[in-house]
Amino acid sequence: MESVATLPEWRANLATIAALMARAKNELLRVPGAAIPGVLAPTIFFLGLNGVFGALTQLNGFTTGSYESFIVPVSMLQGAGFTGAAAGVNLARDIEGGWTDRLLVSPAPRWVLLAGTVLSASARALIPATSVFLIALLLGAGWPGIDGLLVTYLMVTAMAAVAACWGSALALRFKSQSAAPLMQAGMMALILTTTAYAPLALLQPWMRSVAEVNPVTQVMDAARQGFVGGVSWAETWPGIVALLALLAILGAWALREMRRTAA
Amino acid sequence: MAAAIVVEGLERAFDEVLAVQGVDLEVDEGEIYGFLGPNGAGKTTTVRMLTTLLLPTGGRATVAGHDVVKESRLVRASIGVALQEAALDPLMTGRELIRLQATLQGLPGSEGRRRADDLLERVDLAAAADRRVGGYSGGMKRRLDLAAALVHEPRVLFLDEPTTGLDPVSRKTIWEEVRTLNDEGTTVFLTTQYLEEADQLADNVGIIDGGKIVAEGTPESLKSQIGNPHIQLQLAAGSVADAEEVCARIGKLLPPKDGRTVLVEVENGAADIPRTVRALDEAGIAVESLELVRPTLDDVFVAKTGHHIEKDGEEGAEPEPVEA
Amino acid sequence: MSELATNARVVRALGMRSIRQTFRRPQLMAPIVVFPTLLLAIQTGGAGGAVNLPGFPPVQSFLQFMLAGAMMQSLMLAGNSGGIALAVDIEMGFTDRLFSAPIPRYTIVLGRLAGTAALGLFASLWFLAIGLIFGAQIESGVAGALIAIALVTTTAMAVGGIGAAIALRTGSASVVQGLFPLVLVVLFLSSAFFPNELMIQPARAIAEYNPLSFVVEGIRGPIVSGVDASELGEAVLAIAGIVVLGLVLSARALRHRLRVG
Repeated sequence: MESVATLPEWRANLATIAALMARAKNELLRVPGAAIPGVLAPTIFFLGLNGVFGALTQLNGFTTGSYESFIVPVSMLQGAGFTGAAAGVNLARDIEGGWTDRLLVSPAPRWVLLAGTVLSASARALIPATSVFLIALLLGAGWPGIDGLLVTYLMVTAMAAVAACWGSALALRFKSQSAAPLMQAGMMALILTTTAYAPLALLQPWMRSVAEVNPVTQVMDAARQGFVGGVSWAETWPGIVALLALLAILGAWALREMRRTAA
Repeated sequence: MAAAIVVEGLERAFDEVLAVQGVDLEVDEGEIYGFLGPNGAGKTTTVRMLTTLLLPTGGRATVAGHDVVKESRLVRASIGVALQEAALDPLMTGRELIRLQATLQGLPGSEGRRRADDLLERVDLAAAADRRVGGYSGGMKRRLDLAAALVHEPRVLFLDEPTTGLDPVSRKTIWEEVRTLNDEGTTVFLTTQYLEEADQLADNVGIIDGGKIVAEGTPESLKSQIGNPHIQLQLAAGSVADAEEVCARIGKLLPPKDGRTVLVEVENGAADIPRTVRALDEAGIAVESLELVRPTLDDVFVAKTGHHIEKDGEEGAEPEPVEA
Repeated sequence: MSELATNARVVRALGMRSIRQTFRRPQLMAPIVVFPTLLLAIQTGGAGGAVNLPGFPPVQSFLQFMLAGAMMQSLMLAGNSGGIALAVDIEMGFTDRLFSAPIPRYTIVLGRLAGTAALGLFASLWFLAIGLIFGAQIESGVAGALIAIALVTTTAMAVGGIGAAIALRTGSASVVQGLFPLVLVVLFLSSAFFPNELMIQPARAIAEYNPLSFVVEGIRGPIVSGVDASELGEAVLAIAGIVVLGLVLSARALRHRLRVG
């Protein structure tokens, strides 16, 4: 039985990633209200943090007088973390329901299947990020400049990819949606044990030590450029390196788990 | 003829439990192989190993000439799979699903679109193609799953319990489609817990129980191993002894089931019925009912394992056999 | 046997079931305690410098201040989770079995609340232990700790009553679960995480009138200083208010559920 010629491998892989991303958008477009939780959680946190801890700017050594400006990147990155972890939950649901078997039984390479999930999360993180950003502007946060905004969005999309790798690795490891709280809590802990609430010097000593080794602190500081202070390459590249390192480690773990699903 | 599937000593352990314990089988190209056994016998585990979804913990297997462990990707490019839980996304339409499957198989977009149209027509889903799968009936979902498995014209098709839970009409449709595919040259490996399905569709049957193959062969050869058909007579009270005397001259008497039945094993099957009826009539014996009982694959199963494939009454009505 | 004794036995039986259910599924219980603990650590570590703000009430440490807020968060999540459990019972038809039994309907809700109370008790003990381990002192000693525990447990039941009312009215576990973000909102708009006086408007205005603020301050008082009679009184009144609200809503929701079936 002759088969028609298939596409060259690189084209087939791109087409598969695009098709998986197209499927992922169905949840947003075809399920009413699906986008709401992803937008609501970081927005509530933004408004809450601002209303509750806003007075912290009065502390000596705080780098800005506007707490809104200070925490905008926090909430945007939280949105990224939430979206990425949710991608992991969706993958767990797909595994439980048998959909993932369809993907695993096809000749598509495992990294292609993972890329579909991760890139969808990155794209989807733009929604809560933009929503928080607009609300922050309304509440008086400063305009970060185009360069600041671009850096922030870069950090956000990459962070979502990191979170999606984390969530996917857990989903493939446990093959169950009950790992969802771990997916969400893990990302929350990673993002908030940084210069999230206050500049480094004003954190409690133990938190400061953690923030100093936490790579996401570099990401947070890079994303905060423009909102607080200026934008410079010196502040930006550590964030990029941190994200690449996290992507490499968590991506490798997720890929390993994807390959081990048959074990 | 080359072998499409070769399995040697295949084993799969989950923690301490051996779900599949040393399965050997061979399926020729162009054959329909029926893997028959009760729930929990190891059918699905075996299929998952042959389709590279599960790694064996012992033994080896090749599908379409490629080792399932070492050349798993080449195996996946040659097989079509329709699993027990139809792996469908309720938010997609039927057409979208087949086109996604085409992309997964590396087919160009235009080719995928063309094949989707053809396959949807073939499984009679053209009308529902642009409705969401979530609204499909069970039978429609199975037909869609089957269509998706065929999009790249695979050499070997794996069907895991393709008609479990379906109504008789849907079941017949699937059976006809499997026969057509096989006529076109596709090798089919199907698992089932339904005797009729194995009997009707399979060229060769492997009966599995407790992770091991307990019998293998064509349905006819398996059944003839068990013995000849027998005639079952239901009689009015008081005529049993006389009937037994008459029947003993026609064939071999078997132990009766109850006080009003006579069982006689006959060599020529249905051809012996007219003799039997005439003999009883001449002796003036009134017969309430007469039935020719053929051995079934369940009888084979019972002979080999000591229990039935289907628990009494568990599976509900068996499908009507389709006249070939 | 007197009717009251029988009813008490029913409540006890349903209560035991509810408690067993809660503690038998650690993956459901964990978020109720683990999540607030995580937030406690993060917020004390990140915003702990707040104690140096002019106008911040005299406390030993930010941790000492925050313990009450963490307990509050836990008990609200416990109330939400009790509501989810009741909604699941309704969806599964278990409540139908109870409704058709010759027991007064209120025992069903009370039994469910026993589980919530047990969780509240556990949460208060947990955070008191955490506080002590990490160096926070309970200024009013054992008596103060007992008061805090009592307040947390009763508030958990009170909030549980509202959760039960929502469960009875909607009969859907996913609706009750979807209200979880509301818990966070209500807590942010109170003095759970920061003193009212130092919050930013309009959050400050809302927090000043939020009954949960009175409850939190009642719990916080014995921990950071002495027991203040008026503070305690306000807390008790606020809890009573929530209890009454819960009872009224539950009774109406119960009637609705029985009519709708």
